[in-house]
Amino acid sequence: MENDEKKYEEVIKSLKGLQEVKAPVNFEADLQQRINSEKFSNEERKGFWENIFIPSRLIPSLGLVATVIVIFFVVETNSEEMDNPFLIEPRIREDIVPAGDYEELKNRQEALSKQKTITKDERVLQQGKKENEMKLSDDKMSTGKEESAEMPQLQGERDYVTDQNAAERYDIPYDSALTSATITEGFIAADSIDADTEPVTGQMMMKEELNFRQLQLSADEQKKVNELKRQVQSLEKADEHHK
Amino acid sequence: MDIKLRELSDEELILEFQKNNTEDAFNILVQRYKNPLTNFVFRFLGNYEACSDVVQETMIKVFRYKDTYSSVAKFSTWVYTIAGNLARTEFRRQRRRNFFSISDYGEEHSAYDLPDESYRPDVITDSGIKDEIIQKALSKVKESYREAVILRDIQGLSYEEISEILGVNEGTVKSRINRGRAQLQELLKDIYNE
Repeated sequence: MENDEKKYEEVIKSLKGLQEVKAPVNFEADLQQRINSEKFSNEERKGFWENIFIPSRLIPSLGLVATVIVIFFVVETNSEEMDNPFLIEPRIREDIVPAGDYEELKNRQEALSKQKTITKDERVLQQGKKENEMKLSDDKMSTGKEESAEMPQLQGERDYVTDQNAAERYDIPYDSALTSATITEGFIAADSIDADTEPVTGQMMMKEELNFRQLQLSADEQKKVNELKRQVQSLEKADEHHK
Repeated sequence: MDIKLRELSDEELILEFQKNNTEDAFNILVQRYKNPLTNFVFRFLGNYEACSDVVQETMIKVFRYKDTYSSVAKFSTWVYTIAGNLARTEFRRQRRRNFFSISDYGEEHSAYDLPDESYRPDVITDSGIKDEIIQKALSKVKESYREAVILRDIQGLSYEEISEILGVNEGTVKSRINRGRAQLQELLKDIYNE
């Protein structure tokens, strides 16, 4: 230690020889002034929570909140309005005709069901014929030319049988007279069937109505059907003659 | 001012100020420490104006945080610690300011205002050219070494006190002092050779 001090003796001497720097004359007065101002500011200084809830400090945050609310409502009114399902008035169904009394309703239903049964028969017969035709073409493929020679005679019988089968399949009472009548009428008014058989709503549904097919015949098919129709007619005439 | 208060030691005065909030006790402490602290801070910063502000700030901290003083420590080490911390902060601020001001102006803009030092006490006290050279050399010594050298060789504090003020052990203090002295000797070798 002493060696170090000897080593740096000149430096130490120089540093110790430096003149002492003194504080300014008005140091204490300035200090007192600053302390008093500190005291004054401390008295006025408010706590964190007090500062937060000073109205002037709340203004910006309140303004921001108000702006957000206004923007929210502006955007909300411009957006697509959703209808409250509980406030929507029910749709008026014009297809339902109010009935005066039970008897009237019953009569109407009966008339309607009759009308439908007829049209149903027409449709069933058409379908039967179609199936018949399909079977016929299958038979042709399987039995060959020999059988095809017998065709004109047998075909009528077959059609008759298949009509009957189809009627049985669809649980409809088979009436040949009615069938023949409806067949002729039905084929003539084939295009008008759809218009006549518009779905009847607001009425009791029949069992037969629940499962039916609407067939759109092509030109070739229509031709074949017409041919078959003619054959059926000739067969019927033959029957009548026979009787 | 009470004569009895003047007879009290620094520690007794600060305790009196703590317990009874006796401002006279505080004023006596200010009178006792204003010059030593000014000398210490000025030698560290080399700027009288900044030094005066730092010392005032030190006294205000003593006033405001009197209750944090513990009677275990010496008052002098406590007050020097506060002054040293503030001086270091101010020194770094000055260094940043100088760095940015130089980089702002650049070499091309040489016509920037120099501070007026005509009435500065440092200029007056450094009437001897030797003092001025020593002060300049001191300013070039590394910050941590300079503080230790000033406290030891200018303020005359013990190694123990310096270690308390700087918050390092005595060995480190001695090492810093020696390194600081070595740097100074190197910087002042021309004067000593003369």
